[in-house]
Amino acid sequence: MSFLAKYIGQKVKRTEDPRLIQGIGHYVDDIKLADTLHVVILRSPYAHARINAINTDAAKRVPGVVAVYTGADVAGKVGNVPCAMAHPELKVPAFGVLAQTKVFFVGHPVAAVVAQNKYQARDAADLIDVDYEPLDVVSDGEKAAQPDSPVIHEEFGTNIALVHNAGVGDIDAAFAQADKIVTQRLVHQRLAPISIEPRGVLAQYFPGEHQLNLWSSTQIPHLMRTQVSLMLGMPENRVRVVTPEVGGGFGCKLNVYAEEALLGWIAMQLHKPVKWIEGRRENFQATIHGRGQTGTVQVAVKNDGTLLGLKYDVIADIGAYHQLLTPAIPTLTGLMLSGCYKIPAISMKCTEVFTNKMSTDAYRGAGRPEATYLVERLMDCVARELNMDPVELRRKNFPQPDEFPFTTACGVIYDSGDYEKALSKALTIADYQKLRDEQKAARAAGRVMGIGVSTYVEICAMGPSAAMPAGGWESATIRVEPTGKVTVLTGVSPHGQGEETAFAQIVGDMLGIDMNDVLVVHGDTAVVQYGIGTFGSRGLAVGGAALVCATEKVVKKAKKLAAHLLGADEASLTFEDGKFVGAPDDKSLTIQEVALAAHTAASLPEDFEPGLTATHFFEPKNFTFPSGTHICVVEIDRETGELEIKRYIAVDDCGNQINPLIVAGQVHGGIAQGLAQALFEEVVYDENGQLLTGELMDYAVPKAHQLPRYELDHTVTPTPVNPLGAKGVGEAGTIGSTPAVANAVIDALAPFGVKHVDLPLRPEKLWRMMHN
Amino acid sequence: MHKFEYASPTTKEQAVALLGKSWGETEALAGGTDLLSLLKDYLVTPKRVVNLKGIKELSSVLTPRDGSARIGALASIEAVRDLGRGFAALSQAAAGITSPQIRNMGTVGGDLCQRPRCWYFRSGFGLLAKDESGNALVPNGDNRYHAILGNDGEAKFVNPSSLAPAFIALNAKIKIFGPAGEREVEAAKFFVTPKSASEREYALQPNEIVTMIHVPSTLGVRSATYEVRQREVLDWPLAAASVALTLDASKKVKTARIVLGHVAPVPWVAEEAAQSLIGKTISEDAAAEAGRLAVANAHALSRNAYKIQLASVAVKRAILQAVS
Ligand SMILES: Cc1cc2nc3c(=O)[nH]c(=O)nc-3n(C[C@H](O)[C@H](O)[C@H](O)COP(=O)(O)OP(=O)(O)OC[C@H]3O[C@@H](n4cnc5c(N)ncnc54)[C@H](O)[C@@H]3O)c2cc1C
Repeated sequence: MSFLAKYIGQKVKRTEDPRLIQGIGHYVDDIKLADTLHVVILRSPYAHARINAINTDAAKRVPGVVAVYTGADVAGKVGNVPCAMAHPELKVPAFGVLAQTKVFFVGHPVAAVVAQNKYQARDAADLIDVDYEPLDVVSDGEKAAQPDSPVIHEEFGTNIALVHNAGVGDIDAAFAQADKIVTQRLVHQRLAPISIEPRGVLAQYFPGEHQLNLWSSTQIPHLMRTQVSLMLGMPENRVRVVTPEVGGGFGCKLNVYAEEALLGWIAMQLHKPVKWIEGRRENFQATIHGRGQTGTVQVAVKNDGTLLGLKYDVIADIGAYHQLLTPAIPTLTGLMLSGCYKIPAISMKCTEVFTNKMSTDAYRGAGRPEATYLVERLMDCVARELNMDPVELRRKNFPQPDEFPFTTACGVIYDSGDYEKALSKALTIADYQKLRDEQKAARAAGRVMGIGVSTYVEICAMGPSAAMPAGGWESATIRVEPTGKVTVLTGVSPHGQGEETAFAQIVGDMLGIDMNDVLVVHGDTAVVQYGIGTFGSRGLAVGGAALVCATEKVVKKAKKLAAHLLGADEASLTFEDGKFVGAPDDKSLTIQEVALAAHTAASLPEDFEPGLTATHFFEPKNFTFPSGTHICVVEIDRETGELEIKRYIAVDDCGNQINPLIVAGQVHGGIAQGLAQALFEEVVYDENGQLLTGELMDYAVPKAHQLPRYELDHTVTPTPVNPLGAKGVGEAGTIGSTPAVANAVIDALAPFGVKHVDLPLRPEKLWRMMHN
Repeated sequence: MHKFEYASPTTKEQAVALLGKSWGETEALAGGTDLLSLLKDYLVTPKRVVNLKGIKELSSVLTPRDGSARIGALASIEAVRDLGRGFAALSQAAAGITSPQIRNMGTVGGDLCQRPRCWYFRSGFGLLAKDESGNALVPNGDNRYHAILGNDGEAKFVNPSSLAPAFIALNAKIKIFGPAGEREVEAAKFFVTPKSASEREYALQPNEIVTMIHVPSTLGVRSATYEVRQREVLDWPLAAASVALTLDASKKVKTARIVLGHVAPVPWVAEEAAQSLIGKTISEDAAAEAGRLAVANAHALSRNAYKIQLASVAVKRAILQAVS
């Protein structure tokens, strides 16, 4: 199909923004239903303890309190928090929505207080008397795996939830042939996703209709509907999940939490709407964390820099329970250990262990930042060892453009790529050789300057259904209304990605209409056909692809009617810029005219269904593999260890870009989060399992003024796996940036003999490195 | 939060009459940016909260031509950020408070009277950070942000006010109002190191309030504040120095005041360091020497030696910034 690209590829301003900037969008907490009761969850202050008794009498006497529920009330009535990974050897502890006999992490829900307002509920929660008997705490992932460690879930007799092996190729032979073996231990610290809007749920039940409505700040309304209906024993079609505006997710809302089913159940007990809005401290304790891997990487290499093999032996500290994808995330690391290099043999052994902490799960990048960080860090370690320029080492091992589709020793097939192109573009922008000269001069003058490069590839557009726990396809419906306005129902659930804009651009161009005539509807299971949701950079690459196919169907149908109305042969008609042309006498019809005719149905071809609507479920044949090069230049203050990012260059390749403004926005935010992992952020639990970084005064999220000015550019290597040629860009910035910054800092410290520093690269650490 | 009575007087006389005679009974409320979190965490449990914001006369900022300033206790931190050149040390300190919301909600009086951020104190272990059996928690605990000076007694927390060192460097006086009327103390004497957990860190009686801060003429004064914040977020500096200098015609130092922040239970006046500058032309070396002297008597706890380095650097850089 051919169309004029009036919108596609243009920097169209996001149509979502005016309402958000004016503060007139609606998040869960903005939705007010009459007679709503408010829920406060009492959470465990202990990381591991037995609950001997709970006394709720005093709490129940607080004026305004309507009910107090504990584990005993929900036992057998509300199902467990679901884990979507099915693996015969995976140990899955029963994760009730309220703690039963024990608590397993600080923040574990113990009781729910329902009151007329949240202040009463909060005061009452403080009056619940829980008799805890503290138990031995397992807070360190590596120690948890030791045979002498206390065991968290006694029924398993071990803290090891799963041992996952991955990789192909003759790893022993690779290491036997090596001239050098470079080994490095690396820590991927735990991070908190910190969406600006924390989680929140509003539940409303109509007993007469036996209908439960849930408003939730989620990335996956349909999957949540299915899971919550199972947890509550409700028919799925009697549960409606609505996601109003969602203030960020970054993976932490790609989940089904205890509170959703719990609130639904409470609404069904009380026959009144109930609302729970997570506070920031709760958010730190009881919303999933990301990363949390500690491992050792070994790389086998020839003296000329040819990579032969890579081994990664890692412990993933997954916390006390499985949330939806907890055990699956570290396995994603195993898919990307080849980076953007030819490595003939790869082997990963990942031991996932329970600890008395909040679960880890998907956080922007979800398993791939770990892979990229370790591969890119090791590339620098190898270059140092071989006395090679880190850029040359990378270049030497790239697969060439004609080698795609490229199968790696992790068993995945990279769809398309041109790694050299992005690298040389970034080097040109940076003026790499000049930077190296400047660095020499700086060092001679006693200044501490470093240059870091990371060439990354990531796995996106999640994904073919065969590789996904609950389907990887996506759906779209397009309706051309009688007046010619177009309504799109998409199964993805945008929460900041801008698909309302991007999808309208696509439809605007494909139908040759004003994009403002397109309304994109999402996030309401009563309105939108089943969909999978937004995560893994799939919104455009899978959801957008579904929309393209649905739009093609609608055009095809319209063409049939147009031919009939124009008295033309269908084959002689073409659809150009919103019009069917090519009929005798130069007659033509616009898509709007056809839509009206399809609805009035005064004259239709035989066997033609009235209306003008089409639905498509798109199944991708493969993932996509966006790639790019990030370069970071830093200078470190010798006297204080403080660090300044002098320059930051990112050349990303996400295939075809529908809206470069949105792409840049995604890259900006992604770099901010990846850079924050390198420099600032770290979830810290002490040996007693107490969360030391439980609020924004202790957990350092960067602010705008702490970020550098980004120098962005891109290359375009379209993907063959979807009709848009778009690969996805939601996570690229996060994945490319952490190693670029780390490599720059460690490069800066090279004169001090420093080979590696674990993240975050706090000034005190850097100062000590320079003054030891 | 416990229940409390809320009073909103409109005059300072009413306010002090509503305040109790012993600490803990009542609390004064200004911008609430600190008090509210203290209340929510049960660190203070007053029977009455006395809102000062209704006392309109306390929020003015006057800067007469003589280069002095009269800053009402209820003026916002943002308001002092906008003061002119002579007040550089003060406005730089105010600008350092990274959150615009806090600069606009928080008041100058509240900044001076805010409670320490020692995490043991904030977790309910009291000002002197002791466990149930009276053992001191700081010496063997996580003392990365604790005092390196004036830490030989039981108090190991650091004074959290960023404005205090600047006021002291500028020789400010703090005006206090109580049942007996008005009194005035030098800013340097306003802060005290408590000997017991029931005392406060400042020289107010429980039924007194700060009404105004008077900064004498800053004509000819070159001042600066340099903070080491480590570019983290919503937190306090690790070390800071405020410096005020006057120079003679030949650019030699005539008078000098150097005050360190966030390094001791009180803002720390570095007398010897200041003296070392007198009669000298400011140079990198002279500034570095003052920095060394400022921490000559510092004493690291188990995990905060790094702060000694930072304090010394802050002094050096504040001096250089003041004359640049
Ligand atoms: C995230 C965060 C970061 C911060 N960073 C910094 C920083 O870097 N540097 C810094 O200096 N501060 C910092 N602050 C502290 C902030 O400046 C103070 O909270 C604020 O100045 C307090 O002013 P307020 O008017 O809100 O005081 P309130 O919270 O109303 O009161 C604080 C205390 O002072 C008492 N009080 C207030 N006014 C008077 C008065 N006139 N007379 C007697 N007693 C009074 C109150 O009784 C209470 O005990 C930060 C605060 C937060 C929350």
